[in-house]
Amino acid sequence: MIAKKNRPYLFIAFLFALGAVMPVLLRQYHLNMLTEIIVFALYAVSYNLLLGYAGLLSFGHAMFFGMGAFTVAVSLIHIPGLSLWGAIGLAIAMTTVVGFVTGGLLLRHKGAYFALLTLAFNSLFCAVATKWHTVTGGDDGLSVTRPDLSLGFTTINMAGLTSFYYFTLVIIGAAIVFCWYFTQTAMGQTVLMMRENEERMKFLGYNTNISRLILFTFTGAVAGLAGAFYTLHFQFCSQSAISVDMTTTVLLMTFVGGTGTFWGPMMGALVYVVLQNYLSDITDRWPLFMGLIFVFMVLFIPGGLTQIIQYVRNLFSGRNGTDKSLAVKEGSS
Amino acid sequence: MSDFPVFFLHGLAYGGLLFLVSAGLTLVFGMMNVLNFAHAAMYMLGAYFSYTILRMTGQFWLSLMICPLLLFVIGAVIERFLLRRVHVFGHVHELLLTFGLAYIITEVVKWVWGNFPLAVNVGGFLGGTVEIFGITYPLYRIFIFASAALVGIMMALILYRTRLGIILRAAVNDSEMVNALGFNVPLVFMGVFAFGAALSGFAGVIAGPLLSTYPGMANEILIDAFVVIVVGGFGSLGGAVVASLIIGELQSFGVLLFPKLSLALVYLLMSVVLIIKPSGLFGEKQ
Repeated sequence: MIAKKNRPYLFIAFLFALGAVMPVLLRQYHLNMLTEIIVFALYAVSYNLLLGYAGLLSFGHAMFFGMGAFTVAVSLIHIPGLSLWGAIGLAIAMTTVVGFVTGGLLLRHKGAYFALLTLAFNSLFCAVATKWHTVTGGDDGLSVTRPDLSLGFTTINMAGLTSFYYFTLVIIGAAIVFCWYFTQTAMGQTVLMMRENEERMKFLGYNTNISRLILFTFTGAVAGLAGAFYTLHFQFCSQSAISVDMTTTVLLMTFVGGTGTFWGPMMGALVYVVLQNYLSDITDRWPLFMGLIFVFMVLFIPGGLTQIIQYVRNLFSGRNGTDKSLAVKEGSS
Repeated sequence: MSDFPVFFLHGLAYGGLLFLVSAGLTLVFGMMNVLNFAHAAMYMLGAYFSYTILRMTGQFWLSLMICPLLLFVIGAVIERFLLRRVHVFGHVHELLLTFGLAYIITEVVKWVWGNFPLAVNVGGFLGGTVEIFGITYPLYRIFIFASAALVGIMMALILYRTRLGIILRAAVNDSEMVNALGFNVPLVFMGVFAFGAALSGFAGVIAGPLLSTYPGMANEILIDAFVVIVVGGFGSLGGAVVASLIIGELQSFGVLLFPKLSLALVYLLMSVVLIIKPSGLFGEKQ
């Protein structure tokens, strides 16, 4: 038997290996979809760090995603000769600053107040993106071309889908692993325990406000990275990347996948993008079906798909112990 | 400045509408501690119901009576069968549920009535104009302000001058005790939620002829109503009155004085209030 401690590492290695062979197996259309899934998986993971781990329900996550997306688009257009790394770095820097400043304001409130304020701030960012036509292109959006990737010793052309797919897999994959590592660190555990009993953490001498601000800034920067790849992937960025709809998207993905585990939201992203692609072929009303699925899950399966999988797994194995290394206790703040 | 009175009246009318929307929101929030994200969606539903009734009968007063009733029933059903169910899971689930409902209602509206603006005409007596401060002004906008004032006064009277109001306020403080005294607290909460929904429907009917009826109208007013709640103070009726008027005037004069920045002014006000007094102008300390 493999030691339980090593399982997550094997799982990560397995996912990377699977991702690496995909371009051989999939056609252009599906590879395109897979790239989108990977980008959204990171976005959902960052959101789950807030919702699942810290118990903070934010309705403004798209402001970071959109900020990252717009930073890449605007900087690639206005700074000639900017490298791919430079653009992505700028996006992360921008979202870190925005996350720190807005977090300082928003985190003064909790629960419903926090939800309300994040939604208001998201609308502010969206309104600015729509009105500030000279920079953001307003409703028309911005078109960009992916610059070549310079690795120091060689330069890779990023125009093709396959090379960009590998680039996404490596960078976004690394970011997801880093997020997972973050949850295992003392900082990540602090956040988790703060959700369970904040009073006690304060007693123990932790500054919960600062921990929360760090987490908020961190998730903002991660969402910004996802947004940056969103622009690079579609080679286009419009106001929809920063709209409240983009927050709804990530909320649906995260919740449908399950907020109880680290990997749940990634599955949610997979299911969401696949469903969106196929349902939109069958019916124009697919958002309605997504909404119905969502409300159904809120009412009856609060643990999302992960809960269903766990349930099925227990049925077959006959045991009722869950994999502790992956599971985070389901609970509400 | 000759335009001054006109813009002042515009501000009053929009402020009145904002109050009608945020009063229901703040009532439900103050009483039940539920932030209803679906409130603006129900307001939109009211506007669309009104559009249909007006198309069929042409009677504005009729739709002003029927739509709130319809929304009252919808609100009662949502509270009884959905919201009460998730209440035990806590705040996050309540928020998620109302958010999901708002999403579904918006999609249903797009499906039934289409994803484009529909014009609503009041017609009749209300469609006319009056002479006020020496200018000709549409009567309908004055009607909006008057009905908002009426609703505000009635709500204050019910809450602070009647037996029902005492039970309501007591149920907020200690629902178990009120329950033990023989009042049906779950029914009271259902009534509060349904009344909030009816109020949103009323606001929707009124908003139809002023703004146009389109699927984005819910989100647009939701943000303004949220700003009203933040500025006025969470769950405070008096705060909602003052904040709606401030924001109505701010929007109106913003368009006149700083056309480019009019949108940012509202958010600016919200940010300033958040920094200086996070609990809002009239809010109690949390």
